[in-house]
Amino acid sequence: MRVEYINPFVEAAFNVLKEVLDENVKRGELYLKSTSQPVLGVAAIVGLAGDVEGRVLFDMRMDTAIAIASVMNSEKLEKLDDLGKATINELANMITAQAVTKLHDLGFKFDLTPPSIITGENMEVTDQGVEALIVPIELPQGKIEINVAVRERT
Amino acid sequence: MKTKTDFPTINERRPEGLKEDGTPYKVLVVDDSMFVTKQIGQILTSEGYEIVGIAGDGQEGLEKYKELYPNVDLVTMDITMPKMDGVTALEKIIEFDKKARVIMISALGKQDLVKKSLLLGAKNYIVKPLDRKKVLERVRMTLNQ
Repeated sequence: MRVEYINPFVEAAFNVLKEVLDENVKRGELYLKSTSQPVLGVAAIVGLAGDVEGRVLFDMRMDTAIAIASVMNSEKLEKLDDLGKATINELANMITAQAVTKLHDLGFKFDLTPPSIITGENMEVTDQGVEALIVPIELPQGKIEINVAVRERT
Repeated sequence: MKTKTDFPTINERRPEGLKEDGTPYKVLVVDDSMFVTKQIGQILTSEGYEIVGIAGDGQEGLEKYKELYPNVDLVTMDITMPKMDGVTALEKIIEFDKKARVIMISALGKQDLVKKSLLLGAKNYIVKPLDRKKVLERVRMTLNQ
């Protein structure tokens, strides 16, 4: 998978998280996985279809999701309730919108699905025939992994 | 010592959400995200605006506008929504009330739809992520137009 697909997502995540959390955000080292990977507990997934196809996953632990949603709502959430899920959904929306604008400017044309939020323990994600590029982003609330698995449509 | 008079007010500024007669501007918020409606609601009510209605899609937004009319001063309208998108809802609201004041709420990357909305009669737009300053400024500009 070409790295130019993931960079816009990482940049966008960096910008949006910095803006909505008003905190220090650190980018970790990029790594590649071709096998199934564990999902951390809360994942927002967005599908891409067009010149490139695949999916982007914003993956984090439950406590991280609750802490982020709490900051974004300026109130302490005890669990990831409907409001919390709507908040993480909106976060994924804002990041993908920014990333896709960049990718469209680079000449890639594709559509997006609205984000879906998946929660649960002991989950894995498997992408047949395409490896995933992962960039962890470190926040005071924990870590968000930007996990992109896309390929050019043949 | 007890005093019978009020403390002098040190903040003479009238909250932006109040008209000159002291009554609040009435706002209808149309957005399918509970997070965004809450965020807009908090920002606007903190300045004295009154949220008179919330709608989760364009169709409901249009119906609520007709129901509330003429007691609605401003609409915030998301662009991407189920059932009826924000641009269509805007078009129908303007059809119903040429003087409607609608602000589009957009994610980045929807420049074409924002442009279309402005041509259709939207008064202004705000790009997410929303922050207090940005929202209040655009709302104030729109109401003062």
